[in-house]
Amino acid sequence: MFAYYLRLALQSFRRNPGLTALMVMAIALGISVCMVTLTSYRAAARIPLPHKNEMLYAPNVDSWDPAQAYDKDNATYAPDLQTYRDARGLYASTIPDRKIIMYKAGGVLSGGNNMAPEYVAARMTTGDFFPMFETPFLYGGGWNAKADEGPEPVIVLSKETNEKAFGGANSVGKTVTWHDREFRVVGVLNDWEPAPKFYDVSNGSFDDPEKVYVPVTWGQIMELGSDGNTNCWKTEDINSYQDFLNSECIWWESWVELRTPAKVAAYRKFLDDYVIEQKSKGRFQRPLNNHLYTIEGWMQRNNVVGTDNKAMLIMAFAFLAVCLVNTVGLLLAKFLNAAPVAGVRRALGASRRDIFWQHLTESGVIAVAGGIIGGVLGIGGVWALRAWYGRFVQDLERALPVDYSTLGIAVAISLAAGIIAGLYPAWRIGRAAPASYLKVQ
Amino acid sequence: MGLRPILSSLMRNGAGALLVAIQIALTLAIVVNAVFVTSERITKMGRPSGIDDQNMFALPVTGFEKNFDFFAMVRADMAMLRDMPGVVDAMPSNHIPLSGGGSSTQFYSLPDKKGEKSPVAYYVTDEHAVNTLGVKLADGKNFGATDVEYRPKDVQGFPGTAVVTRAFAEVMFPKDKDNLVGKTMYDDQSKPIVIAGIIEQMHGAWVGWDKLDRVMLSPVVGPGPGIRYIVRTEPGKLDAVMAEVEAALRKRDPNRVVGKLRTVKNYKQSSYASDSLTAVTLSVVTGLVLVFSALGIFGLATFNVNTRTRQIGTRRAVGARRRDIVSYFMAENWLITTLGVVVGCGLALAVGFWLSNQFALPRLNLYFLVGGVAGLWALGQLAAWQPALRAAKVSPAMATRSV
Repeated sequence: MFAYYLRLALQSFRRNPGLTALMVMAIALGISVCMVTLTSYRAAARIPLPHKNEMLYAPNVDSWDPAQAYDKDNATYAPDLQTYRDARGLYASTIPDRKIIMYKAGGVLSGGNNMAPEYVAARMTTGDFFPMFETPFLYGGGWNAKADEGPEPVIVLSKETNEKAFGGANSVGKTVTWHDREFRVVGVLNDWEPAPKFYDVSNGSFDDPEKVYVPVTWGQIMELGSDGNTNCWKTEDINSYQDFLNSECIWWESWVELRTPAKVAAYRKFLDDYVIEQKSKGRFQRPLNNHLYTIEGWMQRNNVVGTDNKAMLIMAFAFLAVCLVNTVGLLLAKFLNAAPVAGVRRALGASRRDIFWQHLTESGVIAVAGGIIGGVLGIGGVWALRAWYGRFVQDLERALPVDYSTLGIAVAISLAAGIIAGLYPAWRIGRAAPASYLKVQ
Repeated sequence: MGLRPILSSLMRNGAGALLVAIQIALTLAIVVNAVFVTSERITKMGRPSGIDDQNMFALPVTGFEKNFDFFAMVRADMAMLRDMPGVVDAMPSNHIPLSGGGSSTQFYSLPDKKGEKSPVAYYVTDEHAVNTLGVKLADGKNFGATDVEYRPKDVQGFPGTAVVTRAFAEVMFPKDKDNLVGKTMYDDQSKPIVIAGIIEQMHGAWVGWDKLDRVMLSPVVGPGPGIRYIVRTEPGKLDAVMAEVEAALRKRDPNRVVGKLRTVKNYKQSSYASDSLTAVTLSVVTGLVLVFSALGIFGLATFNVNTRTRQIGTRRAVGARRRDIVSYFMAENWLITTLGVVVGCGLALAVGFWLSNQFALPRLNLYFLVGGVAGLWALGQLAAWQPALRAAKVSPAMATRSV
């Protein structure tokens, strides 16, 4: 029967090609606009390392100005960065299975075989960074806790940096110069582009990952400040790097891995105890305001998805709704226009159910056609936006990836939508009494 | 002609009319809010930056060798750049205006953190900044070459003289708006800074900041090893000069890192990219939704005319004029549109309210709603016009003929 209905549907399209095209295009454009907005929304809302969402936490303590909250619009938020002293203080805890403290610095990298000296961003971090965030390695690996303590002059290069410096060859054991100091390469990362860059959202959720990774203690030895955000609230005499380390300026990031709920509870208590102890020393004069964010919670806290993104997604689906209402109206008109034909079929013995399925098939075909065209238009739209904005937005490939899985979503939404749109007209035409149409013929 | 027959006929085919009304209501809600947000973004993007942003580029330079003479490098580079053909002027700077990266600090109108206070984005640079940026000095004078401090070490605080924007100075000294030059402001260590000159208007670092026009230029260079150069070119020579500057800098001293050259226009577009993306997406949606609404109304009206040819023929046969038929269909359409518009007004206000609450967008301006209502009425009548004319062409003889 389905094949017969399909043939009838095609005949019906041939009778009203303009109207059919209008319905297909309405669905297609509705779907494509949804796809474009859905693509950028999904890219921003994607949770990296979903299997570790219940294990990785960003501890957050409120060392800010007693006179005012860090974020005036969200007074319950603690600062998104930490002071050097607090980062070190939290790092001292032995509760976490793994722990990271870090910041972003910059310096000139040279050495290798044929590399022109270049200013590169470095992630000053601790060795757990690599296993905690499951970074893929092309050669070698990260460094251990002993290298953090020393610190040992070790460095991990990104794949791109290794290509520039060593032509992509295995460089483990070779030496590069960063910030006028020699470092031994212990590992080279494979392609790794965490998007969103969840572990450093305060410096740009879709920024490039850093080009090199260096044990964080070198930062203090070499007296490196942050290449990212540094925020200070307190009036302090800062005349040396040591003054800066002791200041209330925030520029550090912390992450911990807590594998059991018991450890999570213990770490929460540790945070409270830490802050209460600091209070007794005259610091942390704001009310106790500690947070332990999962990756997902951290991204929400930092509004990674962005308000525009959400608002546009809603607008896009409202537009799809208009397109569907439009299609329902046109389908209804088309079916009722062709009601005499249905009347003849009913008189010849087709049941109401046959008529209903026949018409639903017709609307289903329109929906699938609309979905496929809409999917192609949607991908074209994403490409067009990338071509246009790629000229001045560096991080666009991560913020707006061409996501072919949305094509499947588009066709599915469209099919569901088309069937819903066809239900009422198909039911209505199935209900029509055949006699009324036969009379005038 | 009364509306009664139209209403009763509408009731008989309620579903089609209701669908059109729903479509119009949704369209109004979408279009009014989309146009409002779009116009707001376009206004935001169109604000003058106060600087000659179309004819400027910037680049980072970093020294890396030991015993590297940072100040000699800056002085030599600046002298060379300022002498190059096509270059209007050049300046060293800690940051690039409109780039989204910058520094800010807080000042007070009285010592000991008293009086008025305001944050300000600052650029540490030399006496060529005013000319390089192309900002208009409304009052007072620029700082001179002798005021510029070349600081070999990172010292807190600013030199005792500065050029600031009017917007910043007026917030600091609201009672002396006509007499801002020579006023003294204080940093949080109570160190005094005298305002030497007032810039009429200039944008600072972060386009999303509501205090974007509060900017200070301070005469400091250093301590290195990294710095940015900003170069302003004669109109139309940007690309050519950029290529020459890159080559000349590398040639003059290969023992430092010359970073990527980027136009200030490019920085600006990048900073406004999300606004522009929103504006473009919403404009496309607005256009499409209007086209499809018009086509939907047109399709339904055509269908109504087609199914009612006998009825129209009968009316014509019993004396209705063509004009009556046209006005019948136009009135029918007007009724449906009005129903949609009334529901749509409520919907548009609800969406606007919800958007402004949920996403901290500004509250919907009611002029946009009025415009949307008028526009949709016009659109509805326009879409129904051709089908109505076709209906008027139905001959009275149709009444006697069977289809």
